[in-house]
Amino acid sequence: MSADASLEQLLDRRPDLWRGRARKTFPAASTGLGWLDRGLPGGGWPLGRLTELLPSLSGCGELGLLLPLLARCTQRAEPVVLAGPALVPGPQALISAGVALDHLVVVREASESLWAAEQCLKSGLCGSVVVWPPAGPVGERAVRRLQLAAERSPGPTFVVYRPDQSPPPSVSALRLGLSPGPEVEILRSPSGLVESRCLSPESESVVDLERYRRHARSMQ
Amino acid sequence: MPVRCNELWLGLHCPQLPLLAAWQCDPEVPELHAVHGHQRGRHIILQASSAARRAGVTPGQPLATALAIAPALQSRPRHSRAEAALLEQLALGAWQGSSHVVQAPSDGVLLEIAGSRRLYGGLRPLVEALCADLERRGLPVRAGSAPVPATARLFARHGLHAADREIMRRKLHGLPLTALALDDRQARALAGCGLDSVAGLLRLPAPERARRFGPALNRHLLCLEGRAPTPLAAWQPPEVFCLRLELPAASSDSAALLFVFRRAIERMAHWLDVRDQALTRLHVTLHREDGGGRIPLEVGLSRPGMDAERLLELLALKLENLELPAPVEAVELRAESTGEHRPPQADLWSGHNRGDAWPALLDRLKARLGEAGLSGLAPQPDHRPEKAWRWVEPGTSSNCEDERPRPTWLLPAPCPCRRENLRLEDGPERIEAGWWDEEDCRRDYFVARDRHGRRLWVFHEHRPREGWFIHGLFD
Repeated sequence: MSADASLEQLLDRRPDLWRGRARKTFPAASTGLGWLDRGLPGGGWPLGRLTELLPSLSGCGELGLLLPLLARCTQRAEPVVLAGPALVPGPQALISAGVALDHLVVVREASESLWAAEQCLKSGLCGSVVVWPPAGPVGERAVRRLQLAAERSPGPTFVVYRPDQSPPPSVSALRLGLSPGPEVEILRSPSGLVESRCLSPESESVVDLERYRRHARSMQ
Repeated sequence: MPVRCNELWLGLHCPQLPLLAAWQCDPEVPELHAVHGHQRGRHIILQASSAARRAGVTPGQPLATALAIAPALQSRPRHSRAEAALLEQLALGAWQGSSHVVQAPSDGVLLEIAGSRRLYGGLRPLVEALCADLERRGLPVRAGSAPVPATARLFARHGLHAADREIMRRKLHGLPLTALALDDRQARALAGCGLDSVAGLLRLPAPERARRFGPALNRHLLCLEGRAPTPLAAWQPPEVFCLRLELPAASSDSAALLFVFRRAIERMAHWLDVRDQALTRLHVTLHREDGGGRIPLEVGLSRPGMDAERLLELLALKLENLELPAPVEAVELRAESTGEHRPPQADLWSGHNRGDAWPALLDRLKARLGEAGLSGLAPQPDHRPEKAWRWVEPGTSSNCEDERPRPTWLLPAPCPCRRENLRLEDGPERIEAGWWDEEDCRRDYFVARDRHGRRLWVFHEHRPREGWFIHGLFD
């Protein structure tokens, strides 16, 4: 083994090491949304690492953007855990997005969401874990623990902050700001550079509205 | 079919049963320990550990004397209920060697092995397997066999084996009189006659023996010789596992409680194993020292099984969440079990048992979050959106024929809002339902945008209250 190669390997072992743009991209899973895949640095949700979502208001796509991924996981019988969501995920919407509800577990005890998420991640059994830290300030240690646990989970892991929570300094792979639209702003990317790019679908999901109109007309 | 004269009985004798029973729940047993009884108003040492015996403590010694000889000695009063429970455990172990088990209180069991010894390939492998198994479970035993139950019990104390009646008679005759463990009065009377061996006693004519030493001794000797049947009560493993263990000292320390749980769970695992059952739910009751209300704990398993480490982990999680109002003096375990036992299956490729790991994870989460802290979601056929979903057990599969668009987030309860802030985009969808269960409602649902551009699911209610409400968010 040449000295160069071993140095490269050593550097690769440190995901928290800043290496400029030359760094290799992380393995990622497709988001299932073309415009998002094209815009995200790794071409999808990073695997085995944390992705932080910062919605400006609740209901800005923190679940909607994940639905294609959750549908894919649950259809492959990989469990998905939603730990401590503030609102109730609507089962009809989940089913129509293709999520198999028998592989979806919701941790309703919001105060224990971090602990529960860590257990799920450490087991390495989950297709994806989405965690809403309990209300109040979020500690740096808590997120670091999640990051360490996420490395043992094969799928993507998401931390969704509440609109009034500010994220602690962390070692997450990706930090995305969400605003209504949905509009996605990349606040931090795996290459380590803040690119501050805004992404949004070319056209809004007209399909839903179209269906709604049809239904409304049929009711009249 | 073994006929009666072909019977062979194996006696298992646990010489240290009182000592083990009194000290079974201590995480650390002191080297010098003993158990004492009450005799004519005095505390008398009944049994002492080998270290204590080396230090000069002997059974029969008054406790005060023993403490003077070995000041570091710790002695506990004899605990007959714990001994009975331990004897049950011994019988359960013996049950693995034969289906005909008899308890021989206070410290032994008998089992009929004429049939089962062939299964094990002879007497020696059977005895070795049973003794090794019991030793592993913390019950060191001595074994002896004879064609007659009463003699097998006697032989177990001395490690003698006799395959037929002739050998048994010879070995019985060779025993000293003290081997019979007669009570003091009889032993003194016999010694007064100059008798010192069983052979001498057996040579005396029966009427003479009865006149001098009472008829009970004759009956006992007839049983030993096999000329009279030994009264036996067959033992069966209990149908339901229920065990109460007392802590050596009342404690609210979870480490001490977990040690006792470990003991109890080991025994439960043994019971499940012998009965080929799998655990579904474990009920634990903690008894408080101050006699206050009992504290119930419950651990359910998503998949029937028995994994001691996993159960202990679940109990530890339960204890962590528990504020004990007073020290606990005893724990009681009751097992709910099922005969549908599926042995764990290992994954063909990765080698680890993935199929069992997910239920195990759910159990662990439930142990800390509570049954209601972890759920799955399911739609429910009802037109009223707040009744069109419910929390279910994780893993409940469901389907939904409802094609109407519904929001990704539902508010726990509809929240009043102002019409001015909304820009209606679509609707209305009239929902009028619930006259049958007196939760009648009449609403028009709309998809609307708020000032921030979020898509909301709002409704205008006409009945029972008039107004605009947000019910969900299209994410």
